Amino acid sequence: MATEVLIAHPRAETGKGAARKLRAAKQVPGVVYGHKREPQSLALDARDLQKMLDRVSADTTVFELRIDGGTARTLIRDIQRHPFKREILHIDFQELVAGELVTVDIPLVLVGTPVGVRLSGGMLDQVLRTISVEVDPGNIPNHIDVDVSNLDLHQSIHIRDLTLPAGVEVLENEGETICVVAPPRAEVEVVAPVEGADATAEPEVIRAKKEEEDAEAAKK
Amino acid sequence: MLSPKRVKFRKMFKGRTRGIATRGATVAFGQFGLQALEPGWVTNRQIEAARVALTRHIKRGGKVWIRIFPDKPVTKKPAETRMGKGKGSPESWVAVVKPGRMMFELEGIDRKTAERAMGLAAAKLGVKSKFVAREEAHTDAS
Repeated sequence: MATEVLIAHPRAETGKGAARKLRAAKQVPGVVYGHKREPQSLALDARDLQKMLDRVSADTTVFELRIDGGTARTLIRDIQRHPFKREILHIDFQELVAGELVTVDIPLVLVGTPVGVRLSGGMLDQVLRTISVEVDPGNIPNHIDVDVSNLDLHQSIHIRDLTLPAGVEVLENEGETICVVAPPRAEVEVVAPVEGADATAEPEVIRAKKEEEDAEAAKK
Repeated sequence: MLSPKRVKFRKMFKGRTRGIATRGATVAFGQFGLQALEPGWVTNRQIEAARVALTRHIKRGGKVWIRIFPDKPVTKKPAETRMGKGKGSPESWVAVVKPGRMMFELEGIDRKTAERAMGLAAAKLGVKSKFVAREEAHTDAS
Protein backbone atom coordinates (compact mmCIF):
# COMPACT_ATOMS: atom_id res chain seq x y z
CA MET A 1 0.00 0.00 0.00
CA ALA A 2 1.27 3.44 -0.89
CA THR A 3 0.59 6.65 1.03
CA GLU A 4 1.07 10.07 -0.51
CA VAL A 5 0.70 13.58 0.85
CA LEU A 6 -1.49 16.17 -0.87
CA ILE A 7 -2.04 19.78 0.16
CA ALA A 8 -5.58 21.14 -0.12
CA HIS A 9 -7.20 24.42 0.82
CA PRO A 10 -10.75 24.72 2.09
CA ARG A 11 -13.02 26.84 -0.08
CA ALA A 12 -16.23 28.60 0.84
CA GLU A 13 -17.59 29.35 -2.62
CA THR A 14 -19.38 26.55 -4.43
CA GLY A 15 -21.23 26.16 -7.72
CA LYS A 16 -20.17 26.18 -11.34
CA GLY A 17 -19.13 29.85 -11.40
CA ALA A 18 -16.76 29.42 -8.48
CA ALA A 19 -15.48 26.11 -9.89
CA ARG A 20 -14.75 27.72 -13.27
CA LYS A 21 -12.87 30.57 -11.61
CA LEU A 22 -10.79 28.02 -9.71
CA ARG A 23 -9.97 26.08 -12.86
CA ALA A 24 -8.98 29.30 -14.61
CA ALA A 25 -6.57 29.94 -11.71
CA LYS A 26 -4.94 26.50 -12.33
CA GLN A 27 -6.68 24.91 -9.37
CA VAL A 28 -8.98 21.90 -9.14
CA PRO A 29 -12.21 21.98 -7.13
CA GLY A 30 -12.72 18.98 -4.90
CA VAL A 31 -14.62 17.64 -1.94
CA VAL A 32 -13.80 15.44 1.03
CA TYR A 33 -16.52 13.41 2.73
CA GLY A 34 -16.88 10.32 4.85
CA HIS A 35 -18.43 8.78 7.92
CA LYS A 36 -18.36 11.00 10.98
CA ARG A 37 -17.52 14.17 9.07
CA GLU A 38 -19.36 16.92 7.24
CA PRO A 39 -18.54 17.23 3.55
CA GLN A 40 -15.97 19.96 2.97
CA SER A 41 -15.25 21.74 -0.32
CA LEU A 42 -11.58 21.95 -1.27
CA ALA A 43 -9.27 23.50 -3.81
CA LEU A 44 -6.07 21.73 -4.94
CA ASP A 45 -3.21 22.83 -7.13
CA ALA A 46 -3.89 21.35 -10.59
CA ARG A 47 -0.22 20.85 -11.53
CA ASP A 48 0.73 19.12 -8.27
CA LEU A 49 -2.31 16.87 -8.46
CA GLN A 50 -1.66 15.87 -12.07
CA LYS A 51 2.01 15.17 -11.31
CA MET A 52 1.00 13.01 -8.36
CA LEU A 53 -1.56 11.05 -10.41
CA ASP A 54 1.00 10.45 -13.18
CA ARG A 55 3.18 8.78 -10.58
CA VAL A 56 0.77 6.77 -8.44
CA SER A 57 -2.36 4.71 -8.90
CA ALA A 58 -5.36 6.89 -8.00
CA ASP A 59 -7.67 4.02 -7.07
CA THR A 60 -5.42 2.17 -4.67
CA THR A 61 -3.33 4.85 -2.98
CA VAL A 62 -4.15 6.34 0.41
CA PHE A 63 -3.73 10.12 0.30
CA GLU A 64 -2.94 12.09 3.42
CA LEU A 65 -4.79 15.35 2.82
CA ARG A 66 -3.33 18.36 4.62
CA ILE A 67 -6.15 20.87 5.03
CA ASP A 68 -5.38 24.02 7.01
CA GLY A 69 -3.09 22.35 9.50
CA GLY A 70 -5.28 19.27 9.98
CA THR A 71 -4.73 15.95 8.21
CA ALA A 72 -7.13 13.35 6.90
CA ARG A 73 -6.38 9.87 5.52
CA THR A 74 -8.41 9.59 2.35
CA LEU A 75 -9.02 7.58 -0.79
CA ILE A 76 -9.82 9.11 -4.17
CA ARG A 77 -13.37 8.09 -5.00
CA ASP A 78 -13.96 9.93 -8.25
CA ILE A 79 -12.00 11.98 -10.76
CA GLN A 80 -13.98 13.94 -13.31
CA ARG A 81 -11.94 14.69 -16.42
CA HIS A 82 -12.56 16.65 -19.59
CA PRO A 83 -13.63 14.12 -22.24
CA PHE A 84 -10.67 14.75 -24.56
CA LYS A 85 -8.35 17.30 -22.99
CA ARG A 86 -8.04 14.94 -20.02
CA GLU A 87 -7.59 17.80 -17.54
CA ILE A 88 -9.03 17.17 -14.10
CA LEU A 89 -12.31 19.02 -13.53
CA HIS A 90 -13.18 17.79 -10.05
CA ILE A 91 -11.96 15.28 -7.49
CA ASP A 92 -13.71 13.43 -4.65
CA PHE A 93 -11.93 12.18 -1.54
CA GLN A 94 -13.42 9.83 1.04
CA GLU A 95 -12.01 10.01 4.54
CA LEU A 96 -11.04 6.65 5.97
CA VAL A 97 -12.22 5.61 9.40
CA ALA A 98 -9.94 3.40 11.49
CA GLY A 99 -11.22 -0.18 11.64
CA GLU A 100 -13.65 0.21 8.74
CA LEU A 101 -13.17 -1.81 5.57
CA VAL A 102 -13.39 -0.09 2.22
CA THR A 103 -14.56 -1.25 -1.19
CA VAL A 104 -11.94 -0.61 -3.86
CA ASP A 105 -11.53 -1.53 -7.53
CA ILE A 106 -8.10 -3.14 -7.94
CA PRO A 107 -6.55 -3.32 -11.43
CA LEU A 108 -5.78 -6.78 -12.82
CA VAL A 109 -2.42 -6.97 -14.57
CA LEU A 110 -1.85 -9.88 -16.97
CA VAL A 111 1.67 -11.28 -16.64
CA GLY A 112 3.43 -13.31 -19.32
CA THR A 113 2.55 -14.35 -22.86
CA PRO A 114 0.10 -17.26 -23.12
CA VAL A 115 1.19 -20.49 -24.81
CA GLY A 116 -1.84 -20.19 -27.09
CA VAL A 117 -0.65 -16.81 -28.32
CA ARG A 118 3.02 -17.77 -28.64
CA LEU A 119 2.60 -21.09 -30.42
CA SER A 120 -0.90 -21.18 -31.91
CA GLY A 121 -1.34 -17.54 -32.88
CA GLY A 122 -4.35 -16.99 -30.63
CA MET A 123 -5.42 -13.64 -29.21
CA LEU A 124 -5.49 -12.82 -25.51
CA ASP A 125 -8.81 -11.13 -24.76
CA GLN A 126 -8.99 -9.40 -21.39
CA VAL A 127 -12.62 -9.29 -20.33
CA LEU A 128 -12.25 -7.96 -16.78
CA ARG A 129 -9.78 -5.19 -16.05
CA THR A 130 -10.56 -4.37 -12.43
CA ILE A 131 -11.94 -6.39 -9.58
CA SER A 132 -14.05 -5.01 -6.75
CA VAL A 133 -12.73 -6.05 -3.33
CA GLU A 134 -13.35 -5.26 0.33
CA VAL A 135 -10.14 -4.62 2.18
CA ASP A 136 -8.60 -2.79 5.11
CA PRO A 137 -7.32 0.62 3.90
CA GLY A 138 -3.90 -0.26 5.26
CA ASN A 139 -3.59 -3.33 3.03
CA ILE A 140 -4.88 -2.17 -0.34
CA PRO A 141 -2.86 -3.96 -3.01
CA ASN A 142 -1.62 -1.73 -5.83
CA HIS A 143 -2.65 -4.31 -8.42
CA ILE A 144 -3.27 -8.04 -8.72
CA ASP A 145 -1.01 -10.03 -11.02
CA VAL A 146 -2.66 -12.69 -13.16
CA ASP A 147 -0.23 -15.21 -14.63
CA VAL A 148 -1.45 -16.08 -18.11
CA SER A 149 1.66 -17.81 -19.43
CA ASN A 150 0.15 -21.33 -19.21
CA LEU A 151 -3.05 -20.51 -21.06
CA ASP A 152 -3.63 -22.41 -24.27
CA LEU A 153 -6.24 -21.81 -26.97
CA HIS A 154 -9.84 -21.65 -25.64
CA GLN A 155 -8.60 -21.62 -22.06
CA SER A 156 -9.58 -18.88 -19.66
CA ILE A 157 -8.91 -17.61 -16.15
CA HIS A 158 -11.74 -16.87 -13.75
CA ILE A 159 -11.91 -14.91 -10.51
CA ARG A 160 -11.81 -18.14 -8.49
CA ASP A 161 -8.37 -18.91 -9.99
CA LEU A 162 -6.79 -15.76 -8.54
CA THR A 163 -4.31 -15.86 -5.70
CA LEU A 164 -5.25 -12.90 -3.59
CA PRO A 165 -3.22 -11.24 -0.84
CA ALA A 166 -4.36 -11.92 2.72
CA GLY A 167 -7.24 -9.80 3.99
CA VAL A 168 -8.70 -9.14 0.54
CA GLU A 169 -12.27 -10.28 -0.01
CA VAL A 170 -13.66 -10.36 -3.54
CA LEU A 171 -17.14 -8.86 -3.98
CA GLU A 172 -17.72 -10.20 -7.49
CA ASN A 173 -19.07 -13.48 -8.81
CA GLU A 174 -16.33 -16.12 -8.58
CA GLY A 175 -17.20 -17.57 -11.97
CA GLU A 176 -16.59 -14.37 -13.89
CA THR A 177 -14.02 -14.58 -16.68
CA ILE A 178 -10.91 -12.42 -16.46
CA CYS A 179 -9.30 -13.32 -19.76
CA VAL A 180 -9.53 -15.89 -22.50
CA VAL A 181 -7.24 -16.95 -25.32
CA ALA A 182 -9.38 -16.77 -28.43
CA PRO A 183 -8.45 -18.78 -31.56
CA PRO A 184 -6.95 -16.85 -34.46
CA ARG A 185 -9.44 -15.25 -36.79
CA ALA A 186 -9.61 -16.62 -40.29
CA GLU A 187 -8.30 -13.91 -42.55
CA VAL A 188 -11.38 -12.13 -43.84
CA GLU A 189 -11.36 -11.22 -47.49
CA VAL A 190 -12.54 -7.67 -47.72
CA VAL A 191 -15.12 -7.45 -50.45
CA ALA A 192 -15.36 -4.10 -52.15
CA PRO A 193 -18.92 -2.82 -51.90
CA VAL A 194 -20.80 -2.75 -55.16
CA GLU A 195 -21.22 0.83 -56.27
CA GLY A 196 -24.78 2.02 -55.83
CA ALA A 197 -26.08 -1.29 -54.51
CA ASP A 198 -26.27 -0.16 -50.93
CA ALA A 199 -27.04 3.45 -51.62
CA THR A 200 -30.34 2.65 -53.30
CA ALA A 201 -31.42 0.12 -50.69
CA GLU A 202 -33.64 2.04 -48.33
CA PRO A 203 -34.53 0.75 -44.88
CA GLU A 204 -38.04 -0.22 -43.95
CA VAL A 205 -40.04 2.70 -42.55
CA ILE A 206 -41.90 1.96 -39.36
CA ARG A 207 -45.37 3.22 -40.07
CA ALA A 208 -47.20 5.03 -37.30
CA LYS A 209 -50.13 3.11 -35.83
CA LYS A 210 -52.49 5.92 -36.64
CA GLU A 211 -51.77 5.67 -40.36
CA GLU A 212 -52.53 1.95 -40.32
CA GLU A 213 -55.76 2.54 -38.47
CA ASP A 214 -56.71 5.26 -40.94
CA ALA A 215 -56.00 2.91 -43.82
CA GLU A 216 -58.13 0.19 -42.27
CA ALA A 217 -60.95 2.64 -41.64
CA ALA A 218 -60.77 3.77 -45.28
CA LYS A 219 -61.10 0.15 -46.45
CA LYS A 220 -64.22 -0.32 -44.39
CA MET B 1 -21.80 -0.78 -45.33
CA LEU B 2 -23.51 0.18 -42.09
CA SER B 3 -27.06 1.52 -42.26
CA PRO B 4 -30.21 1.10 -40.17
CA LYS B 5 -32.56 -1.79 -40.93
CA ARG B 6 -35.73 0.04 -39.97
CA VAL B 7 -36.34 3.75 -39.48
CA LYS B 8 -39.26 5.80 -38.26
CA PHE B 9 -38.81 8.54 -40.84
CA ARG B 10 -37.07 8.48 -44.23
CA LYS B 11 -35.64 11.98 -44.07
CA MET B 12 -34.18 14.08 -41.31
CA PHE B 13 -33.36 17.75 -40.66
CA LYS B 14 -29.72 18.73 -40.95
CA GLY B 15 -29.41 19.80 -37.32
CA ARG B 16 -26.52 21.56 -35.61
CA THR B 17 -23.80 19.86 -33.58
CA ARG B 18 -23.21 21.67 -30.33
CA GLY B 19 -21.17 20.76 -27.29
CA ILE B 20 -18.90 17.81 -26.64
CA ALA B 21 -19.47 14.09 -26.21
CA THR B 22 -19.94 13.25 -22.58
CA ARG B 23 -21.00 9.68 -23.26
CA GLY B 24 -19.05 7.20 -25.37
CA ALA B 25 -15.93 9.25 -24.74
CA THR B 26 -13.77 6.67 -22.96
CA VAL B 27 -11.91 3.56 -24.06
CA ALA B 28 -14.50 1.06 -22.87
CA PHE B 29 -13.86 -2.24 -24.67
CA GLY B 30 -10.33 -2.44 -25.99
CA GLN B 31 -6.89 -1.17 -25.10
CA PHE B 32 -6.54 1.65 -27.63
CA GLY B 33 -8.98 4.07 -29.21
CA LEU B 34 -9.45 6.72 -31.86
CA GLN B 35 -11.12 9.81 -30.40
CA ALA B 36 -12.76 12.60 -32.39
CA LEU B 37 -11.45 16.11 -31.72
CA GLU B 38 -13.98 18.13 -33.69
CA PRO B 39 -17.68 17.88 -34.50
CA GLY B 40 -18.73 16.48 -37.84
CA TRP B 41 -20.49 13.81 -39.84
CA VAL B 42 -18.79 10.49 -40.52
CA THR B 43 -20.38 8.70 -43.47
CA ASN B 44 -20.93 4.95 -43.64
CA ARG B 45 -18.40 4.82 -46.49
CA GLN B 46 -15.77 6.46 -44.32
CA ILE B 47 -16.52 4.07 -41.45
CA GLU B 48 -16.20 1.11 -43.80
CA ALA B 49 -12.94 2.42 -45.27
CA ALA B 50 -11.53 2.95 -41.78
CA ARG B 51 -12.60 -0.55 -40.71
CA VAL B 52 -10.96 -2.10 -43.75
CA ALA B 53 -7.76 -0.12 -43.08
CA LEU B 54 -7.74 -1.29 -39.46
CA THR B 55 -8.39 -4.96 -40.14
CA ARG B 56 -5.87 -5.05 -43.01
CA HIS B 57 -3.14 -3.51 -40.88
CA ILE B 58 -3.64 -5.67 -37.82
CA LYS B 59 -4.02 -8.74 -40.05
CA ARG B 60 -5.19 -11.66 -37.94
CA GLY B 61 -4.12 -10.15 -34.65
CA GLY B 62 -6.46 -8.01 -32.68
CA LYS B 63 -10.08 -7.18 -32.27
CA VAL B 64 -11.84 -4.07 -33.57
CA TRP B 65 -14.82 -2.23 -32.14
CA ILE B 66 -16.76 0.39 -34.10
CA ARG B 67 -18.37 2.70 -31.57
CA ILE B 68 -20.32 4.91 -33.97
CA PHE B 69 -23.30 4.03 -36.13
CA PRO B 70 -24.54 5.97 -39.15
CA ASP B 71 -28.21 6.44 -38.26
CA LYS B 72 -28.82 9.83 -39.87
CA PRO B 73 -30.01 9.94 -43.50
CA VAL B 74 -28.57 12.63 -45.74
CA THR B 75 -30.60 13.66 -48.78
CA LYS B 76 -29.44 15.06 -52.07
CA LYS B 77 -31.24 16.64 -54.99
CA PRO B 78 -30.46 15.21 -58.43
CA ALA B 79 -28.00 17.10 -60.64
CA GLU B 80 -29.31 19.95 -62.79
CA THR B 81 -32.53 20.24 -60.84
CA ARG B 82 -34.20 23.56 -60.17
CA MET B 83 -34.69 24.58 -56.58
CA GLY B 84 -37.97 23.75 -54.87
CA LYS B 85 -40.22 20.73 -55.49
CA GLY B 86 -39.47 19.35 -52.06
CA LYS B 87 -36.56 17.74 -50.27
CA GLY B 88 -34.25 15.43 -52.21
CA SER B 89 -34.10 11.67 -51.79
CA PRO B 90 -31.96 9.88 -49.18
CA GLU B 91 -28.46 9.45 -50.56
CA SER B 92 -26.27 8.23 -47.70
CA TRP B 93 -26.07 7.61 -43.98
CA VAL B 94 -23.89 9.47 -41.49
CA ALA B 95 -22.98 9.24 -37.82
CA VAL B 96 -23.06 12.56 -36.00
CA VAL B 97 -19.81 12.87 -34.05
CA LYS B 98 -19.05 15.31 -31.29
CA PRO B 99 -15.56 16.14 -30.00
CA GLY B 100 -14.47 13.49 -27.53
CA ARG B 101 -16.39 10.62 -29.14
CA MET B 102 -14.46 7.33 -29.16
CA MET B 103 -15.02 6.14 -32.73
CA PHE B 104 -12.93 2.97 -32.94
CA GLU B 105 -11.26 0.68 -30.41
CA LEU B 106 -8.59 -1.99 -30.76
CA GLU B 107 -7.30 -4.81 -28.60
CA GLY B 108 -4.85 -7.68 -28.80
CA ILE B 109 -1.98 -5.87 -30.54
CA ASP B 110 1.03 -3.87 -29.41
CA ARG B 111 0.92 -0.11 -29.09
CA LYS B 112 3.07 0.61 -32.13
CA THR B 113 0.89 -1.45 -34.49
CA ALA B 114 -2.25 0.02 -32.95
CA GLU B 115 -0.94 3.56 -33.45
CA ARG B 116 -0.12 2.91 -37.10
CA ALA B 117 -3.47 1.19 -37.73
CA MET B 118 -5.39 4.04 -36.11
CA GLY B 119 -3.37 6.55 -38.14
CA LEU B 120 -4.46 4.81 -41.34
CA ALA B 121 -8.07 4.72 -40.14
CA ALA B 122 -7.97 8.39 -39.11
CA ALA B 123 -6.91 9.32 -42.63
CA LYS B 124 -10.18 7.87 -43.94
CA LEU B 125 -12.40 9.97 -41.70
CA GLY B 126 -13.72 13.47 -42.17
CA VAL B 127 -13.05 14.62 -38.61
CA LYS B 128 -9.80 15.33 -36.79
CA SER B 129 -8.99 12.61 -34.30
CA LYS B 130 -6.30 11.40 -31.93
CA PHE B 131 -4.95 8.06 -30.76
CA VAL B 132 -5.63 7.29 -27.10
CA ALA B 133 -4.72 4.40 -24.82
CA ARG B 134 -6.54 3.08 -21.79
CA GLU B 135 -5.16 4.41 -18.52
CA GLU B 136 -2.93 1.68 -17.15
CA ALA B 137 -2.34 0.66 -13.55
CA HIS B 138 0.96 1.89 -12.12
CA THR B 139 2.67 -1.43 -11.61
CA ASP B 140 6.01 -0.13 -10.32
CA ALA B 141 4.80 0.56 -6.76
CA SER B 142 3.28 -2.43 -5.01
